[in-house]
Amino acid sequence: MQKISRKFILLFVLPAFILYTTFVIYPFIYSFILSFYQWPGVGKKIFVGLKNFRDILVGPFAEEFRNAFVHNIYFFALTAIFELGLGFIIAVLFVTTIKGKRIFQTLVYLPNVISMILVGFIWNMMLNPQWGLVNKFLKTIGLGFLAKPWLGDPNLALNTIIAVNVWRHLGFYVLVFYAAIISIHPDLINAAYIDGANNFQIIRYIIFPMVVPTLQTLLILLFIWSFNVFDIVYALEGVQAGPFRSTDVLGTLFYRTAFGGLGSSRMDFGLGAAIAVIMFVIVVPLSMFYAYMAEKRRRS
Amino acid sequence: MLRTSRLTKLIIYAVLVVYVIIIITPFLMIFMNSFKSLREIFLKPFSLPSQFSLKNFVEAWKRANLTSAFANSIYVTTVSVLGILFVSSMLAYAISRYDFPFRRFLYIYIIAGLALPARLAIIPIYVILQKLNLLDTRLGLIIVYVSTGIAFATFLLKNFMDDIPKALEESAMIDGANPWTIFTKIDLPLIKHALVVVGVVNFVGIWNDFFFPLIIINSQGKETVPLAISIFFGEYSNQWNLISAALSMSVIPIMIGFFLLSRYFIVGITQGAVK
Repeated sequence: MQKISRKFILLFVLPAFILYTTFVIYPFIYSFILSFYQWPGVGKKIFVGLKNFRDILVGPFAEEFRNAFVHNIYFFALTAIFELGLGFIIAVLFVTTIKGKRIFQTLVYLPNVISMILVGFIWNMMLNPQWGLVNKFLKTIGLGFLAKPWLGDPNLALNTIIAVNVWRHLGFYVLVFYAAIISIHPDLINAAYIDGANNFQIIRYIIFPMVVPTLQTLLILLFIWSFNVFDIVYALEGVQAGPFRSTDVLGTLFYRTAFGGLGSSRMDFGLGAAIAVIMFVIVVPLSMFYAYMAEKRRRS
Repeated sequence: MLRTSRLTKLIIYAVLVVYVIIIITPFLMIFMNSFKSLREIFLKPFSLPSQFSLKNFVEAWKRANLTSAFANSIYVTTVSVLGILFVSSMLAYAISRYDFPFRRFLYIYIIAGLALPARLAIIPIYVILQKLNLLDTRLGLIIVYVSTGIAFATFLLKNFMDDIPKALEESAMIDGANPWTIFTKIDLPLIKHALVVVGVVNFVGIWNDFFFPLIIINSQGKETVPLAISIFFGEYSNQWNLISAALSMSVIPIMIGFFLLSRYFIVGITQGAVK
């Protein structure tokens, strides 16, 4: 490792260091400080101690907070089951001797490169109760009784949003699992064939155990991402996360609290920061664990 | 590679074809609807458009302000990506190649950024931008993207740099080249591939981002494409033919880019997340 003059070190390090400190680290710390204040964004900040946290966890906003929080957890559980489950199954289909894999893989990945908000608007049209393609299609094939107001029924709306989310992201999980599976040494599978194993046994006893580390990483990522959900709800149900807040998540609750949108119960930067802090506390330990694992894996 | 009988293969093809149809149908629908009249959308949802006039496209382009939206998106995304690559590669180079005080600490400090969800810190970011008079400016947006992109880019680029041999640099140093020359003439060309991967991943992320423009930008003429479309969607919520045309026009460029560069997309994004 070489020595270097201070002048050059400052030249290389400072631009990134200053930007990163000002717009990533400082805001993170400032959120914590702000969460102890009441502040509508202008005028004087009033120190209120832990009042914001009390309001959110046990006070007047507890119900709204719990509602959103439960939706995030539900979102995580369902996307984990469908995105990881289907992702694994389709990835296995790709490690067979079929032709045209590249084109299939490219198409499967396509929705991932489209902006989430645009995906939301496209599906908003697809799911329109009167003329949306989904209901029209169901009626055409004689399953008209299944045609539903997908986004208007409080019992369906969140599931519908999750389904759209699966549509957008599944390809990512397929490719990640595929990459993990093809890194398994072919001899392992060939030897199993020689020993008389069938495909199901190979999948169950060789492929699956080998992708468990990938699965764990993806679970952590999915959990973190589940608490970032915002765009898709915004596009399909608006910031009010209707009908009757049945699709509200912490992201939309946070947005309403900090930046308004009609009908928010109280608009306040301090209260918003308190919600952000609670979300930090849920997500950051896992993110740190993920970053730690990534760094460790790189070094081994 | 799993061996499969002809029947199994047939089933696999069938499953994949159905999956691909489910992926493609929504895009086909908005493309078709872009040519139709409202009446036609309602009455003949599955048929091809009766005429291929570009009327809807022209009108949607104008009303959704897509000229300025595309200009803004291209400007903000390009400058942000170049900014990320520039400051992160310098930082990665210093950490990877030289010994200086707090080097190890600096690396951990930056890597910690991988764990901080930037969106959650939007309130302080908003306040800082306000103080700097950068709220509702493209520059403000660019600065936020560059800052929040540093952790991930530095992490990946440092990894790549650690893997390249130092012999070339050492001989350049003996010849009296300074660190800046070595960086630009030797190291940057060697990590070209990594720069492309990091660039593509960030490009897609920033191009598609909706959250930061939603908060930071609020005047007409400064919106990026996702924000412009969202405003248009709100204002013309019943003009489905125009909305389809606007959506098509905003989706097509990124699709073309994706098909041309799919190799980098796929490598970058799968590696970026799980590596």
